[in-house]
Amino acid sequence: MTKEQRLKKRHSSEKRFRFYGLASIFVALLFVLILVNNIFSKGSSAFMKTAIDVEVFFDPELLELKNGANEEEILEADFYDVTIETLLKVYPANTLEEENALIDLFTTDAEIEIKKAFLEDNTLIGKKINLEISASDDIDQLHKGNYPRDLPEDRRRISNIQLKIYDNLIENKKIIKNFNNYFFTNGDSRDPELAGIGGALVGSFYSIIICLLLAFPVAVLASIYLEEFAPKNKITDFIEININNLAAVPSIVYGLLALQILLATIQLPRSTPLVAGITLALMTLPRIIIPCRASLKAVPPSIREGALAVGASKFQSVFHHVVPLALPGTLSGTIIGLAQALGETAPLILIGMVAFVVDIPSTPIDPSSSLPVQVYLWSESAERGFVEKTSATIMMLLSFLIVMNFVAVYLRQKFEKRWN
Amino acid sequence: MSDIKIKSKNLNVYYGDKQALFDVNLDLNEKEVTALIGPSGCGKSTFIRCINRMNDVIDICKVEGNIEIDGVEINDKELDVVSLRERVGMVFQKPNPFPKSIYDNISYGPKIHGKGETKSELDEIVENSLKKAALWEEVKDRLNEPGTGLSGGQQQRLCIARAISVNPEVILMDEPCSALDPIATAKIEELIDELKKTYTIVIVTHSMAQAVRVSQKTGFFHLGKLIEVGKTEKIFKNPDNKMTQDYITGRFG
Repeated sequence: MTKEQRLKKRHSSEKRFRFYGLASIFVALLFVLILVNNIFSKGSSAFMKTAIDVEVFFDPELLELKNGANEEEILEADFYDVTIETLLKVYPANTLEEENALIDLFTTDAEIEIKKAFLEDNTLIGKKINLEISASDDIDQLHKGNYPRDLPEDRRRISNIQLKIYDNLIENKKIIKNFNNYFFTNGDSRDPELAGIGGALVGSFYSIIICLLLAFPVAVLASIYLEEFAPKNKITDFIEININNLAAVPSIVYGLLALQILLATIQLPRSTPLVAGITLALMTLPRIIIPCRASLKAVPPSIREGALAVGASKFQSVFHHVVPLALPGTLSGTIIGLAQALGETAPLILIGMVAFVVDIPSTPIDPSSSLPVQVYLWSESAERGFVEKTSATIMMLLSFLIVMNFVAVYLRQKFEKRWN
Repeated sequence: MSDIKIKSKNLNVYYGDKQALFDVNLDLNEKEVTALIGPSGCGKSTFIRCINRMNDVIDICKVEGNIEIDGVEINDKELDVVSLRERVGMVFQKPNPFPKSIYDNISYGPKIHGKGETKSELDEIVENSLKKAALWEEVKDRLNEPGTGLSGGQQQRLCIARAISVNPEVILMDEPCSALDPIATAKIEELIDELKKTYTIVIVTHSMAQAVRVSQKTGFFHLGKLIEVGKTEKIFKNPDNKMTQDYITGRFG
């Protein structure tokens, strides 16, 4: 081969490599784009809910309440008649069939929504106010354009009468869209229009806090001891290999471990953030120890020698010099470990977090769900309304993960000290 | 001026199975500069790291024999290495200031040893140490800037100031100028000349010229053995040993 040929070959192989690199980045970006687009197009509508504008008359004859009633009396009072009166006023229904169809346009919680309005202002007896009552899941999905109207009636969940009433309400501008606060404040529900991630959010929050409180101190102290104080011998080698192995153990195995030890043997309450937190902490420990040791290792030995040479003890040289320098790496490793724990589903399914929990947990020992498990639960549901809720929950989960990763990167860049 | 400060007797050092020093007997005089020369890997650095027990850090290192400072055995498991290192400071081959401010670099030692209880006492120690290390004039207006932002020569003088700050009796220097340019080297050598009035200094160097310039006594190591030791003038002008002769004239090493 002549010199020119070799040169040409070298240049073309470089060009080829650049092309391969660009192509793979492009493919990766394409997949991310498809994923994000899919989730957003399905999930973004869940943040809005359809409501119907109604006029409520707090008829003194239908209510056994007086103005100024206290909270207990209101909660016990029966608002059913007022609710039915109110809903029937929206459209002039002639037959019983039409009346039932009309009432089915509203959420099953219409009575509670009216009661809530009275709880906020207990002087409404004898007065009329305008309220926005949530629509039922079917109307919600129809209004959002997720429900096909052109199917034959016997294959639709919405009857022709309901469609007629809906169109009439649209004409009269009675149907509105507002912010879906239920999605953030409610627990799970069988009715998609009422289901929310409130319980899952709180459950995930408790689990992660418990995971952090358990895993962070243990992992950091273990790494400091192993890296700085432990003698280098066969036992520490063995421990090191096993920590690396543990980080690669499938998370479901930790679920089995927790099921056997925490639930069966110690008898901790099932489906609780407490057990979830402990399980996630076990799983996260090696995932924090590894980056933590790496950042301790990255502190140059000359810093340790410098401290020892002015008469610092081993303990002082480690805690005054090495640990502060390793801290940014340690913290970002911890956050990334926690982010992984936040998205973990398999072990939580095994410890019973798939239970259907309506109440929002008030303590870490109340039964609860968690964000990824909620995604799993809703993705199994048949109702249209749960499709958008599944995607919206994924959006929430992803945004938490992105925020946590940004914090990790920020901490590392802001506090990492450079040495020459 | 020739009181013996440090005395090593039959010093043997092993790194695992490998023996690094063989029966080294070397006396170092007080308030004098002793230079240790020899080819790479001959054990000079190992020797000075025995004087402040820095080899303790290395798991596989084993030291046998005796080293006495002022007649007190230091190679003793019972001895507190922290107070030993307070008396025997060290400057390393590569400048290694802490990634902290210049002030914190100097004040760290006194702080952990309980010297300088108040801020003003500490200020004084920092100022004196930097003055002794001939760095004060260059950094007095930026004591809060990071020590790692200084030039290489300044960093090395900062490390010398750090060693001085705890008021040691002995300063060990392990090739302190090997990472520096000639101008910075000249400054450090000038400084060593000044420091020997107060401290006993042991310097490991690869530069014959430097050994001649700064030291009063020179020891020549080869393959872990102390081949010859004597007054610097004699070692460089008229060595007894053929190997020393060959090394200083550049025939090997």
